[in-house]
Amino acid sequence: MLLVSYEFGAFLIILAALYYVVPDRFQWAVLLAFSYLFYARGGVIYLLYPLITTASTCFLARAMGDRTLRFQAWVKEKKPGREEKTAYNRKVKAGQRRLLVLGLVLNFGILTILKYCRFFLENVNAFLGLGGGEGAWGDWILPLGISYYTFQSMGYLIDVYYRKYEPEKSPVRFALFVSFFPQMVAGPISRFDQMRQELYSPHRFQMENIILGARRMLWGYFKKLVVADRLGPAVVVIISSPETYDGIYVLLGMVGYTIWMYADFAGGMDIVLGSAKLFGISLPENFDRPFASKSLGEFWRRWHMTLMLWLREYIFFPVSTSRLAKRVSKPVSKIMGKKAAGKVPVYIATLTVWLVAGIWHGASWNFIAWGLANGVVLLVSQELTGCYRRFHAAFSFGKTRAYEIFQVIRTFFIFAFLEMFEYYSFGTVFAMGKSLLTCWSAGQLFDGRFEALGLSGADLGVLALGVALMVWSGFRKTKEAEKGEHRTFFAGYIAVFGLFLLVVVTGVYGRGYDASQFIYNQF
Amino acid sequence: MEELMEILEDINPEVDYETSQNLVDDGVLTSFELVLLVTQISDAFGVSIPPAWIVPENFNSAAAIMAMITRLEEGE
Amino acid sequence: MKGRKILEIGALALASAAVLWAVQRLLVPKYMGRVVEGAFIREYYEEKSPHDIIVLGDCEVYENLSPVVLWREFGITSYIRGSAQQLIAQSYYLLEDTLRHESPEAVILSVSAMQQYEQDNETYNRMTLDGMKWSPSKVGAIRATMMEDEHMAEYVFPLLRFHSRWRELEADDFRYFWEKRKMSHNGYYMRADIRPAGEFPAERRRSSYAFDERAWQYLEKIRTLCQERGITLILMKAPSLYPAWYQQWDQQIRDYAGEHGLLYINCIEKSGDIGIDFSRDTYDGGLHMNVYGAEKMSRYFGNILLDVPGIKDQREEAGEQAMAAEWEEKCRFYDEMKTAQEQEFADKGYLSQFAQ
Repeated sequence: MLLVSYEFGAFLIILAALYYVVPDRFQWAVLLAFSYLFYARGGVIYLLYPLITTASTCFLARAMGDRTLRFQAWVKEKKPGREEKTAYNRKVKAGQRRLLVLGLVLNFGILTILKYCRFFLENVNAFLGLGGGEGAWGDWILPLGISYYTFQSMGYLIDVYYRKYEPEKSPVRFALFVSFFPQMVAGPISRFDQMRQELYSPHRFQMENIILGARRMLWGYFKKLVVADRLGPAVVVIISSPETYDGIYVLLGMVGYTIWMYADFAGGMDIVLGSAKLFGISLPENFDRPFASKSLGEFWRRWHMTLMLWLREYIFFPVSTSRLAKRVSKPVSKIMGKKAAGKVPVYIATLTVWLVAGIWHGASWNFIAWGLANGVVLLVSQELTGCYRRFHAAFSFGKTRAYEIFQVIRTFFIFAFLEMFEYYSFGTVFAMGKSLLTCWSAGQLFDGRFEALGLSGADLGVLALGVALMVWSGFRKTKEAEKGEHRTFFAGYIAVFGLFLLVVVTGVYGRGYDASQFIYNQF
Repeated sequence: MEELMEILEDINPEVDYETSQNLVDDGVLTSFELVLLVTQISDAFGVSIPPAWIVPENFNSAAAIMAMITRLEEGE
Repeated sequence: MKGRKILEIGALALASAAVLWAVQRLLVPKYMGRVVEGAFIREYYEEKSPHDIIVLGDCEVYENLSPVVLWREFGITSYIRGSAQQLIAQSYYLLEDTLRHESPEAVILSVSAMQQYEQDNETYNRMTLDGMKWSPSKVGAIRATMMEDEHMAEYVFPLLRFHSRWRELEADDFRYFWEKRKMSHNGYYMRADIRPAGEFPAERRRSSYAFDERAWQYLEKIRTLCQERGITLILMKAPSLYPAWYQQWDQQIRDYAGEHGLLYINCIEKSGDIGIDFSRDTYDGGLHMNVYGAEKMSRYFGNILLDVPGIKDQREEAGEQAMAAEWEEKCRFYDEMKTAQEQEFADKGYLSQFAQ
């Protein structure tokens, strides 16, 4: 089922009615049943993969938890000495590690086979010089949101392995954590200890939740239907034909793509978080006004936050403290000194994180290049931190408002530039970058190429309004957070109703109206 | 404690570690700096910090970091 | 305090609904310009007195019969519930809908819709269905004929379908926001221009001449409904030269009519008797009749219809009653439009309202 469909609206209304009517203790079960209904709408076969993930993760985590409990009981009973305890703990850990590895291999294995097999085989074929069976691998059934729920489930498994919390006993209850419908398709990736309370505890009907949820959803539909879906097709034209769209269009493509991505993804998240809120459930935020960031590092703490937290917790920290990192830093220490060696784990971990982030986004070299480029920029700016500090100490304007604005704009363009690795091939990125810097003229906007993008004056007006509203909303949120300012009921209602009208009328959905279609053409 | 302070000063000299109570939660220490810190603590104190221990509660203040080191040294 | 709050919220909800209604009213197509067919189905509900005859079908009815001639020359009252590419299922539900308002003596059904059961152009669905008043029949018609990517919600709230017209609003959208102009003559679409019949592609052979089973079912439903209500059902095929009405199709309808004792008039065969002159009586080269062809058709049908039990010349009976006045007004409107179109066609050689 799509989040943007009449069907989804009907689904939410029926679910909400049922959810608030059944006894409290069955509420989570209703959510689970409807989540499966939501997911199975595209075909019952798609339920198979989340079911495998649910079952394997739940049972392995339980097995791990049992061992921890047995260990703790043993400690309590026997009151062993420190050495005896450490030795036994090590044994328990080794067993648990086997279970963890089994779970990781199985679930990431499914993900890899479904998502990356084609990419892998294509490259092997190219490498061996075999004629590519193009398309032969395209028929794999790729279930919706598999990356999201796999990452979320594996985070849970690792947490249990680290003994952060006790595992959930009931596989049926656990199934809701894996497949809760709003977040299953596109995240946010949440942690079990945060979600347990939200998902399984009873939620009384509260008008406030409905209002907050519906308003959030409306705002999401605005971003998605009015901005993203209007901008998207035009951006695709630009980025898919670099040979035609060069010069100033590279800039338009960069800016357009970035706005498109944000409106599409953050809008989707508003719909997801809003619909969860209807049921009194708060999911973790995925975006925190990322375009107000003053550095790329900060940007990545405010954009797709739950994925970044996941990568930090389960890749960055483990890799940087791993034996491998230590082993590599030893020889470096001899050659370049202790200080440089201390940085080796950071380097290895950063590049690993961004390699995974790249692969996570899609099975192609573009994404890998994009991920690594991000990693490199982050490392370089980390190295330059010292320089910046000295710079700020020497010049006072480093603290001024104007300089902050400069930083914000700079960050936007660094991000937008890096996004080019996603949609251009590696070589093209530099060719287009050069084209932007060397053959640039505003006249290019009026040579007919712009018209071919299919954006009318009215569309541009709506887009400008949409972007202005998004920016304004960002400022308002900051202000609200700082001063706790709120609108009166009446002003709030007018604003929401106006937004609703804007979405309904100017949103890009349904069949477009083409007057010529309505001309009765004789037959 | 002095040794820890030296490490912290080295990583980011602009922070007042005596008073700060939310080093991680407020984003004073970035992930990079956190890892630099972890590596240097491991070297200096001869302990190994498991990834599961890299959580805000353990790194939010100099005192919390010191407490964590003590626990590690005691071999928990 | 609480009562006041409820009152305020109620007022706000009402105001919001009114705004939404107004926006919708502004954005739906008005069908008052070049495309007028979308206005016909709705106009029926403005009728005041009942009709002897109801005509159902696609363009083969609303361009080929003139109710005004049937009245003026035969004293028969009639209404054409025709619409562009009306499907047989839609004809059935329109009949149901009509019977909610009146009980005619006879129903004339165009059988050309038998050749295609499913809709292939969403815009025709909108022109047929949007004009219907809400009733179980309308819901039935939508459900039966909706295309795969159409949604009931877009019929309930046409704004959802037509919202993107915001950037091509025309003067007509404001002009006809409140008031509507009458576009048809009891469902008849007048054209007084002339384009002689030309060459048409040769009939292509088909792999199968069987009508869709579902089309047969709806034809049967129409027949049964007429039978239950004591209405005479007459089947007709309009005298269009193209697209082809195959002999095999004709035979199946003939057999069906024979089996159930229905009158079936194939006007292609009868075009000689009717007196159709394809060099003068069509406005689009032989596909549809113009007003001259339609009037000839009406005269031919008038004589046949007077033989139907229950149908008689009502002109004298009507006398000074309201109905007579109504029809007098209809005749005046008809003559006026006909004269104007004839004049324009004589002057310019085309009708500007319908010109591309």
